[in-house]
Amino acid sequence: MITQVPHPVLEVHDLTVSYDQHPVLWNVDLSLPAGQLVGILGPNGAGKSTLIKSIMGLIQPTSGFIKIFDKPIQEVRTRISYVPQRESVDWNFPASVLDVVVMGTYGKLGLFRRPGKKEVQIAQDALEQVGMSAFAKRQISELSGGQQQRVFIARALAQQADLYLMDEPFAGVDMATETAIFQLLQDMARAGKTVLVVHHDIHSAMNFFEWVIMLNLHLVASGPKDQVMTEELLRKTYGGKLNLLTQVTDLIRKQDFNPLKS
Amino acid sequence: MEDFLYFFTFQDPSITWVVLGIALLGIGSAYVGTFSFLDKKALLGDAISHAVLPGICLGFVLAGEKDPRYIVAGAFLSGALATFLSSWLKQNTKLSEDSIIASILSVFFGVGIVALTAIQKSGNPEVAGLNSFIFGNAIGIAEADLFLYGGLSLAILLVLSLFLKEFRLMVFDPGFGKAIGFPMKSIRFVFNVLLILAVVIGIQAIGVVLMAALLITPGAAARFWTDRLQPLLLLAAFFSILSGILGTYISFVLPQMPTGPWVVVFLSLIALLSFIFSPKSGLIRRFLARRRYLHKTHRDHLMKALFKAKEAHRELLTLEEIRALYPFHKKEIEYSLQALSKQGLVIQDAQGVRLSPQGTSNAMRIVRLHRLWEVYLNEFMNIAPDHVHESAEQMEHLLTPELEALLEQRLNYPALDPHQETIPRESHDT
Repeated sequence: MITQVPHPVLEVHDLTVSYDQHPVLWNVDLSLPAGQLVGILGPNGAGKSTLIKSIMGLIQPTSGFIKIFDKPIQEVRTRISYVPQRESVDWNFPASVLDVVVMGTYGKLGLFRRPGKKEVQIAQDALEQVGMSAFAKRQISELSGGQQQRVFIARALAQQADLYLMDEPFAGVDMATETAIFQLLQDMARAGKTVLVVHHDIHSAMNFFEWVIMLNLHLVASGPKDQVMTEELLRKTYGGKLNLLTQVTDLIRKQDFNPLKS
Repeated sequence: MEDFLYFFTFQDPSITWVVLGIALLGIGSAYVGTFSFLDKKALLGDAISHAVLPGICLGFVLAGEKDPRYIVAGAFLSGALATFLSSWLKQNTKLSEDSIIASILSVFFGVGIVALTAIQKSGNPEVAGLNSFIFGNAIGIAEADLFLYGGLSLAILLVLSLFLKEFRLMVFDPGFGKAIGFPMKSIRFVFNVLLILAVVIGIQAIGVVLMAALLITPGAAARFWTDRLQPLLLLAAFFSILSGILGTYISFVLPQMPTGPWVVVFLSLIALLSFIFSPKSGLIRRFLARRRYLHKTHRDHLMKALFKAKEAHRELLTLEEIRALYPFHKKEIEYSLQALSKQGLVIQDAQGVRLSPQGTSNAMRIVRLHRLWEVYLNEFMNIAPDHVHESAEQMEHLLTPELEALLEQRLNYPALDPHQETIPRESHDT
């Protein structure tokens, strides 16, 4: 059940990704329409983060390619915004909440130019949107996990992009905040932005996403929520790893080279 | 004293130059070092500083004398080779980073010592000053060298301030940097060049063995005092200059004394003092906070005892009764009684001790928190009634009014605790 769309915002073409020699994503081929709130679902180790990182160009794929706004990522980076997983950074770093959110403006600033009043204003607006204005001057290590997550979302908002890629932005966030942020993301989608969210809770996925991508080492489904959130496809996604695929993965790992590399 | 005045009034222009040089290189290495400390790459600085020794020897052999240009170039080359090797090995082998750095440090330093010994045996009369590169000798720096070292320091500062935003990103979130299209590999490369330069300009004054301390300690000490990057850099630079000048002074007064070890002694002293006196996480502050808390628990216990007596319809307790309740805390009882009387929470007279109206209300709150927590543990966490007391003894001193309100709400204002004791509330609340 994979729905392809004409004139996609994002096109992932036959993407295979391996870590060292360990394939973690097999032949993912999908396309997404603009102005949608898209959920990426799948069990642990299904390759959800890997897909996001490959789209961002942070991981070199073994084969396949990705086009965003019909161009390679390098040409459209300032139109893409990224929320990495919260654990990927050291929150003891000496910085205030505002310092971190201002980083969202670095991309458009480019190298060597210092952020000024305009950038600080953008950052403050972004903090306002996630309800963290009162924390602007706070040291980041003093925040709770959910607040840190909101800081990262604010930083992504400060990037003022057209496509948003968010890796588990709701990990450690309480229900009330999750709902508030989902509503914010829905508003953004309505304004024509495309928002991709790696998510783990099927229940809230049902409520908020319009388009759902289901992964389990390979692409199980990609399409409008109503069509793909079926019992059969959910079982395919969450019903354990495919035994045969896992065995092939092990076989490839034992080789002295990566046979998938094109 | 005469020496002290002579040194610190800077009558001698050569002293002025040396102090200026030490200050400049101190700022440079503290700035670069603070970033590498925050990046948790402290060991790389240590490896580089040991690894420049073979380069120093090579520079000496090529020049045939102690020409600072050759020495600096040689040191830079071998430092760069060590840095390159460590990242190459990390990418292309399965060795862990610490084993790579340990091997690079010892291999390069070993080769350097062998080369140094060979040069010393060669009988070149110029060889005398070469030993000072091991532990450093700031006083031995000639004026001509200073222009080179000072110039390089200034260059480091300039590049660092230009790249401030980029280096901040490199340390905090390099993945995000890559995602927004910054050339993170090149930025890391520039940073490594600065790191090697910072080491190279320090070796004459501080020596290869201890240079890592000048890189890392200022930032580590300053981290105790601030949570912001810019003040952190400034403070690290200040600590570095201060110990640099003091170390140079010792070398000046006692000519046999190498500068490096003394700079490190002063730096460590600053770090130690920071650790003890830091206002946010210092030893003293933590000790005082703990003591304050202990005193509060003693006062709380005393008030609780008085309140429970009241529940049993006794208006007061005699001093003997109170002491019998806490037989091991005689001193603390005295201390708590004094404090509570002073705050007007208890009234002490010839008959004994009783709670004032305000004291009754405070004591009631402690007992209420204790019993509410017991109910919570029992009902929400399914803990048996005979297992809830210990935890409640701790939580009664900690719970905030907000949490109290939340507990009341969640438990729906219970009347009794799991031991069937009444949960006391003010009459206007019930």
